[in-house]
Amino acid sequence: MTTMPKTVRVHPSWFTRFWAIVRYEMLWNIRKKKFVAALVIAFIIATVDLALPAFLNVGHNPYFVATFSGGSFVFFLFGIVTAMNSISGEYESGTIVSLLTKPVSRTMVFLGKLFATFIVILASFVVIFSYSTIGGILVYGPQNSLYLVPLALVGDIISTFIWVAVVLAAGCISKSSLLALLTALGLFIALFLGVSVVSAFSNDAGVIRGLNYLPGAGASGTMNVTAGQSTTIANVTVNTVTSVSSGTDSIGSNVVKAVLFPNANVLFTHTNVLSNPPQPPILLYTEPISTIVLSSIGVAFLYIAVFLLIAWYAFKRSQILE
Amino acid sequence: MLNPVNKKRLQMDYVIETTDLTKTFDSLIAVNKLNLKVQKNTIHGFLGPNGAGKTTTIKILVGLLKPTSGSVKVLGQEVAVDDADSRLGIGYMPELPKFPKHLKGAELLDIYGRMYGMTQQARAEQIPKLIDMVGLKGRENDLIGKYSKGMQQRIGIAQALLNNPELVILDEPSIGLDPVGLVEVRELVKTISKEGITVFLSSHLLFEVEQICDHVTIINKGSVLASDTLQNVSGMISQSPVIHIELIDLSGPVIDAVKKLPFVSGTWKTGNTFLIQVNTRDDVRAQVSKEVTAAGGVIVAMSQKTSNLEDVFLQLITKDQGGKTQ
Repeated sequence: MTTMPKTVRVHPSWFTRFWAIVRYEMLWNIRKKKFVAALVIAFIIATVDLALPAFLNVGHNPYFVATFSGGSFVFFLFGIVTAMNSISGEYESGTIVSLLTKPVSRTMVFLGKLFATFIVILASFVVIFSYSTIGGILVYGPQNSLYLVPLALVGDIISTFIWVAVVLAAGCISKSSLLALLTALGLFIALFLGVSVVSAFSNDAGVIRGLNYLPGAGASGTMNVTAGQSTTIANVTVNTVTSVSSGTDSIGSNVVKAVLFPNANVLFTHTNVLSNPPQPPILLYTEPISTIVLSSIGVAFLYIAVFLLIAWYAFKRSQILE
Repeated sequence: MLNPVNKKRLQMDYVIETTDLTKTFDSLIAVNKLNLKVQKNTIHGFLGPNGAGKTTTIKILVGLLKPTSGSVKVLGQEVAVDDADSRLGIGYMPELPKFPKHLKGAELLDIYGRMYGMTQQARAEQIPKLIDMVGLKGRENDLIGKYSKGMQQRIGIAQALLNNPELVILDEPSIGLDPVGLVEVRELVKTISKEGITVFLSSHLLFEVEQICDHVTIINKGSVLASDTLQNVSGMISQSPVIHIELIDLSGPVIDAVKKLPFVSGTWKTGNTFLIQVNTRDDVRAQVSKEVTAAGGVIVAMSQKTSNLEDVFLQLITKDQGGKTQ
């Protein structure tokens, strides 16, 4: 038996304890099998993104890298994988008891776990974007707007964090990782189907605009970038008309478009798919791309804030019966 | 220099002090006006049958549960749920502790050490010592997911001692341990106590408490039945012997017949075991046996003990549950 040294008790700073939680959570996240699986899926999607246009013989495209974005499914996947067990898993395994009897407050635990999730998602996206950037240069030749890549990356992280917040809120309330996953998955599918159906059948400008206030795809429009917008881009035929989704999942790619074509307008039209004979699309409304970007960022932050607040409150108030 | 937290701790009389502590879950009263006092530098046993409210009380002490009413002071400070600083001087091992499976034993202690604000040097000194002390040397770099129940219990004890606590709370430390582990844990608790650390240990095992504790509190249905030094609690009911008789069927006539004997001062029944307290030092077993048989009782076993903790415990519990026949 050894005797224990008598040390003077230190009063650890808030940051020391917060950082310990970040380490605790990061070690967990990167050792999860599902996290590795999500990375593999993201790499496969990025590879298909790289290879598919090449098959279609697009040729040199100096904007390929700047317009790369993970896409709705990747955001959902990373949001779920990094956060679905984060707090509910602690209840399920009973480890919450050991954790919350250390000198850490629940707010510290919550913020530490959230920050660790942010770092893990940031690091994953940096790796995926680097891969796509290098691949893009190799496949599509020199790129002339690499400075836009970090902007797209930040946009994608914002999109992903909506799902982090949703799954954390569901997990903190239900204390079940499975229920958290099902809630988020249900919401993801409902939004996907709901938005598709509404977009296809509604010709009400107000309703279509309203889609932008839901997390996810939002409304789809087209942006004509040759109409006196930019001289450099006019040479590139593939980009003369580009489609724009106005929702929170498209913040990354829309930020890039807004920087490239700051004065562009997005046209939202409706085609009556049931009419016979077919009719030409009617214009519902137009909106500047810059407005679309700002409002989707605003909407995204609002959702993130609301769901995180719900999650934090539920965690703070919970009784530990495990 | 002492910070305010340390100053406060120097002035306290009791390391744990609860006043009319009550905790209800819907209609269930788990802890009922519990008044508990634990003196500094003692090994205090917290004894009670399963479901008596031991774990609920402990969870309130460490700030996991909010009491319905009453107050709790630990190390001289009022305990509030989610008050991180109040746990700086406490080491706690939950009942059947669970730790993240993805962490290695040494990693777990390192991260918990950081939460206590231990410096890198302090962690480097303390962690190998604790790993050695709880007998996990050579396994500290294995994932906790690969640990057996007993090893999880050991790492549980190590993490409870990490911060050189003034108070260590162990919730049922013997559950899940093999006989060798039991002896080791007992020795460990005695060692901890010699370091000047107060140990508060819950158990439903009488012999365990009797072997290591110097103070004991017995609870049932969320209330304290007895609380004192082990010696005083053991001698609480009487100094006179108690005869234990195990019968095939304990019937009313047998009880009545025994109660009529002049030297019987009290009787209790628990299942088919009949406890008879006698007010004489003479061996009266033959007379008791004769009387029981005459009343139609069939004796399976019979013994006479001077009262120990088990008698006190049984008497208190059966009294409390209305099993008293006197």
